[in-house]
Amino acid sequence: MNNLLIAALSADAGLPLGITEGGSWLLRNVWLIPLLPALSFVLILTFGKRMPHGGSELGIAAVGIAFVLALLTGIAWVDHRDNSHDQEVHVAVVQFDDHGVGHGDGSEEGHGGGHPSLAVHRTAVWFQAGGMEFTVGTLVDGLAVMMLVVVTLVSLLVHVYSTEYVHGDRRYTHYFAFLSLFSASMLLLVVSENTLQLLCAWELVGVCSFVLIGHWWEEKPNSDAALKAFLTNRVGDMGLLVGVTVLFFAAGSALPGRFGSFSIAETNALASSGMLSHTALLVASCGLMAAVMSKSGQFFLHTWLPDAMAGPTPVSALIHAATMVVAGVFMIARMYGVFFEGFQIGGSSINLMAFIGGLTTIVGACLAFVQRDIKKVLAYSTISQLGYMVMALGVGAWTAAVFHLFTHAFFKACLFLGSGSVAHAVHSFDMKSDMGGLRKHMPHTYRTFMIGTIALAGLPPLAGFWSKDEILVGTGGWGLLGGTGGNGAYTLMLGMGMLTAALTAAYMTRCVYLTFFGEFRGHGEPHESGPRITVPLWILAGLAIVAGFLNLPTGFQLAPGSLQERFGHYVEPVAGYFPAITHATPSWSLAIASTLVVMGGIAASGYYYFVKVEAASKAAGTSLTELPDGPTTRYPVAAMGYKLLDNKYYLDHLYNGVIANGTKGPLARLVYRFNQQVIDRTVDVVGETAVKVGTVVYDRIDQLVVDGAVNASGRASSGMGEELRRVNSGKVQSYAAILFAAAMVLAGLLIVIV
Amino acid sequence: MGLDLLTLAFERPAIDWHAFAPELVLLAAGCLITLVDIVFLEKARPYTAALAGIGLLATAVPLLTLAVDGTERVMFDGAYVVDEFSLVMKALFLLAGYVVVLLSTNYVAEGDYWENEYYGLLLASLMGMVMMASARDLVSIFVALELLSIPAYLLVAWRKRDLHSTEAGLKYYLMGVFASAVMLYGMSLLYGVAGSTMLADIGTSLAGMETSPAVVTMGIVFVVAGFAFKVSAAPFHTWAPDVYEGAPTPVTAFLSVASKASGFVALLVFVFVGFYARSEVWEPLFWILAALSMTVGNLVALRQTNVVRLMAYSGIAQTGFMIAPLAVAGHGVVNGDQALSAVITYLVIYAAMNLGAFTVVIALARRSGSAELTSFNGAFQFAPGLTVAMSVFLFSLAGIPPLGGWFAKFEVFRVLATAGEPWGYALAIVGAVNSVVALYYYASLARRMWADDPVDGDLGPVPVTPSIMSALMLCGIVTLAFGVAPQLVARFTDVSLLAFGG
Amino acid sequence: MENLLDGWGITLATFSPLVGVAIMMVIPGGREHQHKMVALVTSLWVAFIGVLLLIGFDMGHTAQLQFAVDKPWIDVISSRYLVGIDGMSLPLILLTMLIVPLCIIYSWDHFPEPVNPKAFLILILILETGMIGTFVAQDLVLFFVFFEVVLLPMFFMIAVWGGEDRRYASLKFFLYTLFGSALMLVSFLALFFLTGADTFSFTGLSDAVAAGGVSHTAQLWIFGGMFLGFAIKVPMFPFHTWLPDAHTQAPTVGSVILAAVLLKLGTYGFVRIAIPILPEAAVVWAPWIGLLAVIGIIYGALGCLAQTDMKRLIAFSSVAHMGFVMLGIATLTDFGINAAIMGMVAHGLITGMLFFVAGSVKDRFHTLEISRLGGLLVQAPRMGWVFGFCIMASLGLPGLAGFWGEFPAILSAYQPANGVPVEVFRAYMVIAALGTVLAAGYLLWLLQRVAFGNPTEEFAEDPNITDTTKHEWIAWAPLLALIVAIGVYPNLVFRVTDGAVDASLNECLRVDERVLTGAEVAALGCSDVYGLGGGSDAPVEHAAGN
Repeated sequence: MNNLLIAALSADAGLPLGITEGGSWLLRNVWLIPLLPALSFVLILTFGKRMPHGGSELGIAAVGIAFVLALLTGIAWVDHRDNSHDQEVHVAVVQFDDHGVGHGDGSEEGHGGGHPSLAVHRTAVWFQAGGMEFTVGTLVDGLAVMMLVVVTLVSLLVHVYSTEYVHGDRRYTHYFAFLSLFSASMLLLVVSENTLQLLCAWELVGVCSFVLIGHWWEEKPNSDAALKAFLTNRVGDMGLLVGVTVLFFAAGSALPGRFGSFSIAETNALASSGMLSHTALLVASCGLMAAVMSKSGQFFLHTWLPDAMAGPTPVSALIHAATMVVAGVFMIARMYGVFFEGFQIGGSSINLMAFIGGLTTIVGACLAFVQRDIKKVLAYSTISQLGYMVMALGVGAWTAAVFHLFTHAFFKACLFLGSGSVAHAVHSFDMKSDMGGLRKHMPHTYRTFMIGTIALAGLPPLAGFWSKDEILVGTGGWGLLGGTGGNGAYTLMLGMGMLTAALTAAYMTRCVYLTFFGEFRGHGEPHESGPRITVPLWILAGLAIVAGFLNLPTGFQLAPGSLQERFGHYVEPVAGYFPAITHATPSWSLAIASTLVVMGGIAASGYYYFVKVEAASKAAGTSLTELPDGPTTRYPVAAMGYKLLDNKYYLDHLYNGVIANGTKGPLARLVYRFNQQVIDRTVDVVGETAVKVGTVVYDRIDQLVVDGAVNASGRASSGMGEELRRVNSGKVQSYAAILFAAAMVLAGLLIVIV
Repeated sequence: MGLDLLTLAFERPAIDWHAFAPELVLLAAGCLITLVDIVFLEKARPYTAALAGIGLLATAVPLLTLAVDGTERVMFDGAYVVDEFSLVMKALFLLAGYVVVLLSTNYVAEGDYWENEYYGLLLASLMGMVMMASARDLVSIFVALELLSIPAYLLVAWRKRDLHSTEAGLKYYLMGVFASAVMLYGMSLLYGVAGSTMLADIGTSLAGMETSPAVVTMGIVFVVAGFAFKVSAAPFHTWAPDVYEGAPTPVTAFLSVASKASGFVALLVFVFVGFYARSEVWEPLFWILAALSMTVGNLVALRQTNVVRLMAYSGIAQTGFMIAPLAVAGHGVVNGDQALSAVITYLVIYAAMNLGAFTVVIALARRSGSAELTSFNGAFQFAPGLTVAMSVFLFSLAGIPPLGGWFAKFEVFRVLATAGEPWGYALAIVGAVNSVVALYYYASLARRMWADDPVDGDLGPVPVTPSIMSALMLCGIVTLAFGVAPQLVARFTDVSLLAFGG
Repeated sequence: MENLLDGWGITLATFSPLVGVAIMMVIPGGREHQHKMVALVTSLWVAFIGVLLLIGFDMGHTAQLQFAVDKPWIDVISSRYLVGIDGMSLPLILLTMLIVPLCIIYSWDHFPEPVNPKAFLILILILETGMIGTFVAQDLVLFFVFFEVVLLPMFFMIAVWGGEDRRYASLKFFLYTLFGSALMLVSFLALFFLTGADTFSFTGLSDAVAAGGVSHTAQLWIFGGMFLGFAIKVPMFPFHTWLPDAHTQAPTVGSVILAAVLLKLGTYGFVRIAIPILPEAAVVWAPWIGLLAVIGIIYGALGCLAQTDMKRLIAFSSVAHMGFVMLGIATLTDFGINAAIMGMVAHGLITGMLFFVAGSVKDRFHTLEISRLGGLLVQAPRMGWVFGFCIMASLGLPGLAGFWGEFPAILSAYQPANGVPVEVFRAYMVIAALGTVLAAGYLLWLLQRVAFGNPTEEFAEDPNITDTTKHEWIAWAPLLALIVAIGVYPNLVFRVTDGAVDASLNECLRVDERVLTGAEVAALGCSDVYGLGGGSDAPVEHAAGN
């Protein structure tokens, strides 16, 4: 018992959590925001079919109000952040001598950099078990507010867009019902106050994605994709279960009178103050990382995301680009105290998270090159961008990652919806066979798609440029002309980031060419989509342009200082539950360099398509999609590479072919055979043996003299007389023999033993 | 000297007529039936059954008065005793006999057998049993035994035109004689040792010696063997299946319940009054008998195709359960009394459920004419009431709560467990396993009646005569009541022999 | 009113069904409608009493026995009619009272062959008495009696109204369970004798054991006997093989009752009898119970993947789900056992529903061959959605009841009670987590094959494939509602159970060593199986739920 209690539960002692129970009405009642769509889900399910617009109006109304509330909450938060003087909540802790690794005063570090931004914390008792009360509630800080705005906004736009896109669908009502449910779950996720609640919301968004991917479940591929998505996520969720559990008890070990704690604030605070054993944190981080990999499609659990494109395009835009897939990134950002300590992001120059992220960016980008299906291109691009964010978090560039999440939501949603608009016109997603030259037919879609592309590629001054640039800065690997610092020299990550920037630019150029340039290769006369599609597109495009300005880097002389780092200032917590990260200083040189890299990517790909392919097309008289004698035909290496990419690194063969079918088939059959042939058989055998023994006893011992049946028949046939006497006497004699013998034996036996 | 003899000869032992009342009433009833037969000949046939029944009920009256009176009556220097134990057992015999009469009425009438003699003999046999309950002396016990056996031999062979019946009668008679011989030998040995025919004296003299000499052991074993035959405990059970199958079914019921009970009465009296001190001899003996009877009985019953034979073997197994408590009864008064009341409880409940089962068998056999298992198929479809009743009795025999049987088995297990010695636990385990084996054939018979389809497709209803109905009611209610409120039976069976005997 | 409830509530609830039975006995079999009405009214009356009990139940003191009745029953063996309700039994009792009327309503217009509603309903009512009785009994003998009463009706239900292979299945079910309970009885009696307590009441016995009447070895043996009895009923691997047969052959209602309530008798026995009375033995057995539990989880899941029959698959899934329950129990922590009881309730509701749906599918398609089914969502959309909903609930989706049985069990396995090997259970935890993946696998696969896609041409044009009927809705709605309600607000159950579970656990299992000094631990005088005292290990390793 070598532990001492830091003076128990007095408010001013113990560990500062950086949260307050105070705050304005809006901040303390954000639970209304998830509630609205949840209600609309129920209403749509019950009345949807009987409403003029099949329930879609309910969904739109709910999400619309939610969006307004979210905006107001944002404003309230800005005010709260700048001038709040609420009482900070502390928690009494137990410090173990044998756990006091290093900086026991870590909580102080948490306050580095300006006065604290106290998150608004509100809980209610959910249930009690094990003599402990478990709470449900909201934890509102910049991150949560930002997510609220993004989710409600994109969701609203997607709702509007869908009214035209899935118009007259077989399950129009169900579609909107589950859009609402998804919005509710996602919003619940982002305001979660504890990991248990987070886990629940996490699973709920998963099931919504399952339902919406499998929206057209009559076709087996769709339901297959849905199952794949759900199961892959379940694999990751194993990690989540373990991680949450470990954290629960780890936190409990430091809190007197409680055997565990799900509270995010407490867990983070304890972790960043170094009161939790590093082993526990590492295990937990790895577990949570697994969940992130499945949910946010990190290499090697990413394979479900491209298949998920089987769902309706608006769903892909909302769930599989803008919101749900970033849940993983969000969770890392949310539990950053844990990850920061667990992976020791502050100290090292490489760690699991950063590496996985970096790898994913490249892997995804490469795969995006070989797709015919425009949505698949965007899907892999999403994977790659998510990798970007995870990498950023891995190198400690928290703000940059979250900011990229923010901007990416807009331009990637814009791109997806654009691709949907295209497909709406040509009734196909195949760029090579059914598209081309669409810029003439669909000007709005074309323009918005271009904007999205440029933003994604990361050309200044569009949104993507700023966030990407900050990530590259955050790696702290760029030593040239300033721009150093950060949490360590993650030079490798910088390289990966640069490479991806080039690749992204290149494959987007290819995508744009194949879709909008050249001649139309499809059938029929494509036409521009209606306003309910184009308006959302333009809104998103507009955001893709301006969103970047929210977080102009410090020392960006073209803008007044008051406009610099606004996003970071309001979103990045400075509080006990947030680790002490050091920020890298931006540098012009890196910005220019990265821009050049992007240009290079565009130039290379542009030369291939806009010059060579264009020329070849002219020569051939048809609109080609690649050179007849492309590199893959010329260089075997390229051919092999292409084959590898075309088979998606053979991962699906491994998962479906080996693991899934192996379990479903041989393994399951083996176990079942064991069940029937061994366990169940033994039971039967026991019974049968009993009967057999009975038979033996009866025939051999009990009736050893004569078989009654035979005699009965014998007697029946040939009346009585000799036979009867013989039989009976014989039988009786033997019975008597048994009687006497038994008596003698027993007597003898007992005489001996007594 | 001679004078003394004379005077002695004239000294008339005091006779407590009240104590003798039951026997006398029974005797009177028997004589009455015979007289009626002689006087009215055929005209009396329809009434004899009623007469017998009334006679039995009448016998119960003095029993009640004795019970109310409650004093313990000892006659002939303790050769003949009327105490709680004997009263309970007598009541059991009379009730069992009454039910048997109920079963017999139609059976005998329709079978066109001699009726008056049948009931006369039945009463005579019961007379023997009633005496057995009070006998505390080698001679009186033996007399009682023969009095109850010899009429039984005749009854077994009652279906005189049927070969099986005759054969069974012959067999039963011969075996009975052999058994008596063995037992007599044992008795003579004991008499030789103790120099008295009085069980109490034998008890004291056996208690006197610190080890058991071979002669005592042999005496004990042979006596027990003799009665083990009567209660059809393995390995002395061989006669039972053939005899049960051959005898008229009501008689089978009579043998399987009343005569078995009488055998147990004798065993109990011998053990607790006579042999108690020599537990190292009879405990292992009963252990072996119990284990053997349960196992053999159940295993063999598994493959029977005839209900009566099945019941015979199940009866053997049940005997094993009844003997089991005796295997640990030698550990002091408390334990002994527990064992005693366990056995009696089992006897009482067993009587109810077994008679009930036989009643159903008889009722169904009246229709199909055979007792083959297959003739029970789908009974639920043409005789739901009987099927339900049969299920009740079967599962009671299997010991499933809340039917009477569970408490009987429970008591046995309790005694075995509370003895707190490995042998006891071992036997308990054997019993537990056996009760599962037993369940197999009880349950499959029940399932046969509920689930299967009748072999011959006719679903004509089964006529149930009032006498049979009343027998069913009696047994059924008792079975259920004892299961739900075991205190009912426990209050009666909580008697003691050791209090004065051992 | 209150007094009446206190004195008679439980007795009424337990035996009212028998009154109904008596009434039905005298009504001739022909009058089907009267029989249905009597049965329904009786079960509703019982449910009504249940509601009264719930209202009268003092939530403030879930730990103590309420509405308790203590009357002499069998004096010779000093066994008493001792019944009462506390937080542990209340949820299960209410579950029983809910399920029975629903079953009667469900089978209202389609009784299984051979129809005979009279016998069928009588059996159901007898079952109800047995089940309620088992949950209220506070005396070992009484418990044993009710525990066995349940067997007969279920046996007949399977044997008479079952499927093709009913003869085998019914007998197997019967013998298997009886075998367990026979040995269980022997161990009860051994316990009774060894403690020397002249009572069979749970509390009395546990006190006597705590007083140190029984040697450690004896405790282990006795626990072993109980374990066998209860584990067969649960059923735990490897004693589960009666379950798939029984479920597959039993009529729909039979399967529902079997899954919803009967399986709980075993687990209830563990938490109510085995662990409170023999805590030390429990500590020693816990790792093995846990092992069998996790084997069951994985094994059941793999078994499910191999099934070709829908009902059999659901039956196998029970093995996996009860594995989670047993894992929670094996931790011997307050938290884990709460999870277990929640798991029982959830499994009762969800698997009961699944069997209902399976039965309805069978009614329409006359087969449960998964390969022949498909496109249920097309032909019977509502039923398809209900089915999907139950699948989601069954695979432990948060927000539905199943999750609260599954996740807390896994959670509790990370930190078992004092004396239970921590590392072992952490391994179990990971395996159990893997089990959740497999569960999702086989359930969703089932959903895909049965509900998704287009109908097979065999049934494409089948006219008698209709959507959910009125009776089905009435029977299902309460279950569906409860699944959601408990899922959203698990406190509905946890609040009731927590106090009782806490009180039922031995102090030595519960003490939080971190906050006690060595002296205080010593003062508790716990035997060394709890690994208390000294406290030399890292404190975290022994922090059980306090």
